[in-house]
Amino acid sequence: MSRTAEDRTAVAARRSLPAQLLHLLATQIELRMVLLIVVVMAGLSRISPYFLTANNLLNVMDQSVIAGMVALGQTLVILIGGIDLSVGSLTGVSAIMLGLAFPKLGVPIAVLICLASGAFLGLINGVIITFGRIAPFVVTLGMMSIGRSMAYVLSGASSIGNIPDSLAALTADSVFGIPLDFLCLIVAYAIAWFFLTFAKGGRTLYAIGSNAEAARIAGLSINLWSIAAYVVAGLMSAVAAVFLTSKILSIDPIGGAGEELDSIAAVVIGGASLFGGRGSIIGTLAGVFIMVFIRNGLNLLNVSPYWQGTAIGSIIIAAVLVERLLSGGRSRA
Amino acid sequence: MPLLALTDIWKRFGATVALAGARFTLDAGEVHALVGANGAGKSTLARVISGQLQADSGSIALEGRTIRFAGTREAIRAGIAMVTQETSLAPDLSVLENIMLPRFGIPGPLDWRAMRREARRLIERLGAEAGVAIEARVRDLAVGQRQIVEILKALALDSRIIIFDEPTAPLSPHETERLFDIIRNLAALGHGLVFVSHRLEEIFALSDRTTVLREGSVAAEAVPTRELTQGELIRLMVGRELSDIYARSDTARSDTARKDRGTKATTDAPVLRLSHLSAPPRVRDVSLSVHEGEIVGLAGLVGAGRSETLETIFGLRRARGGTIELDGKPFFPASPREAIRAGIGLIPEDRRGQGTVPDFSVRENLLLAHLGAHRGAGLAYRTRDGAIRRLLSLLGLPEQRLLDANLLTFSGGMQQKVILARWLLLSPRLLLLDEPTRGVDIATRSSIYSLLRRIAAEGVACLVVSSDFEEVIGLCDRIVVLSDGTDVTSIPSALVDIEKLGMFAAPRSSAERTHTVLERLSARYGGTAFWIGIERGRVFCFDRVGKDPAADPGFSGGEFPEIGATRIPAALERRDAGFVTEPDSRLATLLVPVRGRSGHDLGMVGLTLAGFADVPDGAALARAVAEDLGAEREREAA
Repeated sequence: MSRTAEDRTAVAARRSLPAQLLHLLATQIELRMVLLIVVVMAGLSRISPYFLTANNLLNVMDQSVIAGMVALGQTLVILIGGIDLSVGSLTGVSAIMLGLAFPKLGVPIAVLICLASGAFLGLINGVIITFGRIAPFVVTLGMMSIGRSMAYVLSGASSIGNIPDSLAALTADSVFGIPLDFLCLIVAYAIAWFFLTFAKGGRTLYAIGSNAEAARIAGLSINLWSIAAYVVAGLMSAVAAVFLTSKILSIDPIGGAGEELDSIAAVVIGGASLFGGRGSIIGTLAGVFIMVFIRNGLNLLNVSPYWQGTAIGSIIIAAVLVERLLSGGRSRA
Repeated sequence: MPLLALTDIWKRFGATVALAGARFTLDAGEVHALVGANGAGKSTLARVISGQLQADSGSIALEGRTIRFAGTREAIRAGIAMVTQETSLAPDLSVLENIMLPRFGIPGPLDWRAMRREARRLIERLGAEAGVAIEARVRDLAVGQRQIVEILKALALDSRIIIFDEPTAPLSPHETERLFDIIRNLAALGHGLVFVSHRLEEIFALSDRTTVLREGSVAAEAVPTRELTQGELIRLMVGRELSDIYARSDTARSDTARKDRGTKATTDAPVLRLSHLSAPPRVRDVSLSVHEGEIVGLAGLVGAGRSETLETIFGLRRARGGTIELDGKPFFPASPREAIRAGIGLIPEDRRGQGTVPDFSVRENLLLAHLGAHRGAGLAYRTRDGAIRRLLSLLGLPEQRLLDANLLTFSGGMQQKVILARWLLLSPRLLLLDEPTRGVDIATRSSIYSLLRRIAAEGVACLVVSSDFEEVIGLCDRIVVLSDGTDVTSIPSALVDIEKLGMFAAPRSSAERTHTVLERLSARYGGTAFWIGIERGRVFCFDRVGKDPAADPGFSGGEFPEIGATRIPAALERRDAGFVTEPDSRLATLLVPVRGRSGHDLGMVGLTLAGFADVPDGAALARAVAEDLGAEREREAA
């Protein structure tokens, strides 16, 4: 009660410098994540001299785009206390939409159709979850199955090739030496950060995840923004589909498989609570990087790729454990 | 030797002293009422006994041995169990499994047949009225039955002491009767029962002895309940600080303010007017109005539809019928957002569940309603900086310490002030407050009261729901009593006391038995039958049957005229045993006092006849009425 608050301020004033740093670390997810990235990078560069070369870093950037795009949408959904298991399938089906549309309608329109179909399926998720009051796990699990099935149906279970150069340029070009797709990722995260920090909608997402009933009584539009989170998750899956197509120059109905778990892992490593209300978009980006670094590092060390799952899984569990220790009993994830 | 003895118990929460040298003794075979106003420390003491809280100092002795519980588990092992409002049952398990749940922790296979036998034996011990099927799922049980399962669970653990913390709040009168029978049964079996409550009627009906707490210390210790009167008990609970708590000390100012308001009320259009509002199932037919600068209390029992009325005004619940008018214009909000933009604020009952956003700082919690009302896409938090600073100093909240901190680390009173400030930031026209001082210590309560008066003085209309009749009377200018979703009366708080409010608020089912008697009287003898209370030259009419204008006593249900203004002043003045005939009219009136089970005053039942010709024998009729009332009560209990 009031005593604890007084004690806390008193303790904070008395703290030594290292203790203050520790306090800062305990309260700032972003700081923690940046530190973790530095540690991981330092470790990997010691183990493998190749890690910190420009070539490898470009490689790492390249690998983080698709996972990063999907994780961005997943962050919004997890912030409101939901979860989206359908993002991988939505990437698959919207990639197929892209592949079916570009030969007839040209690349720009096809990309729009691709994005619209992702957002539309996300909208269906959001509407059913919000108005049907069904657990997001169940609804998106269903959509995961539907999306993948539609990808096979629409594509006739065969892959689509002959990707136009203009699409390929998205991942091939670079600006000042930085890959264009990576720049897109950074811009997307910057916009998301701005939105979550300074926009009414962003704060509403946090409030919904933290206490939806209180948010409703305070007059926030919780239905609108809950649905919006799922729409953005679907949209970002479609964005990932565009970059995926541009990168591998082929569209396959299995595209995007496994992204749902990767994206949830990145969000959780990034310090978000699966119960909603707590998390940060910067943390998610760091989570994406950490996952890519670990995979990259294991590759460089010639460790069998079968070990990657064990490594990533251990990090997820460790991240949540650390989160719990740092925030005391307050952690709910 | 007493079963349980607590001496000199101290418990502090930060700067707040919850218990200041409290004492309590409990004998085997008694029901001991633990009484006090909101925030007096009775729940804290109950939680110390049950091991949920550890006292800072003081000693607890169980049958003479000094004990110290580190947690509820130890208390349960020592034979102390607590039955609370929010039950701690597993809803998806059967009654049997819940009763025997502690056995599940013992290694080895479960002997289901023995457990079933044991459970049946316990139910039998409780008395046949328990009526709980042991195979039923707890989810399917009514609240009252769940409490019985909790009691059974306590008995299965061989608990000798059972604490009931406000057990009747969610119960219907019938369930309450059944619970009381069970408690009496347990006492007869030699258990020690602690009954925590602030409902006077229940204390008199049930308890053998009463301990009154006031501001953490004992105002009366283990007094035989029989020796107390309701008035004494109220005085003991409230003490002489009543005027301080409700900021009535600056009477001069508030009286003139009230007088201004009084004249305003008649001339100005109300800010809020409900007519025949219904929002089933709880809100049936509510009419009331709140004027600018007025604090109106919405009193009644739990389940009377008070919170639901607020929720309907605030757009959280759809109205099915009737009208809501805001500043004279029809208003039917479809969402809280519409209500907020129309200038309404709601301080919800469940602060934790509906009021606070735990992951937000105090600043953002303060700005939450601003965010809801704000029309732009950004936050515009900065625009409120000045207003926040002013508000915090008005509320006496330290700005530096508060704004970046986590709201949950503050006391209930502090949190409530922040939530209040959340709405004040928007300069509302109408504030709806649902149990605004629940879980708030007495010092902060007092400052919340004076704050509300101040807000009202600035012209805000306030509608306050409270289960605490004392609070309603102390805080509000006028009180609207709801009973079973219908407004029963609207009465200036200066004219009413706790007993009268309680009788107005009686749930329909319980008032029904009196109503039945009135109907029979009126049908048999013609004329008008009524149920009234008389206090300080004023008659309070709780119910009336009979529409014959010739036999009109001059008041009907919900009215509270002065005796002189009625048509039967002589009878009301004299209150003789037989019929009293008015000197200046032909009206003859018989008044029969109504007594509760344990003999406390429940007002009077009256019969007014028009004419001398066939006036029946007063004394015989009075006896018949008293018997009739008694019979109805027995029927209700059965």
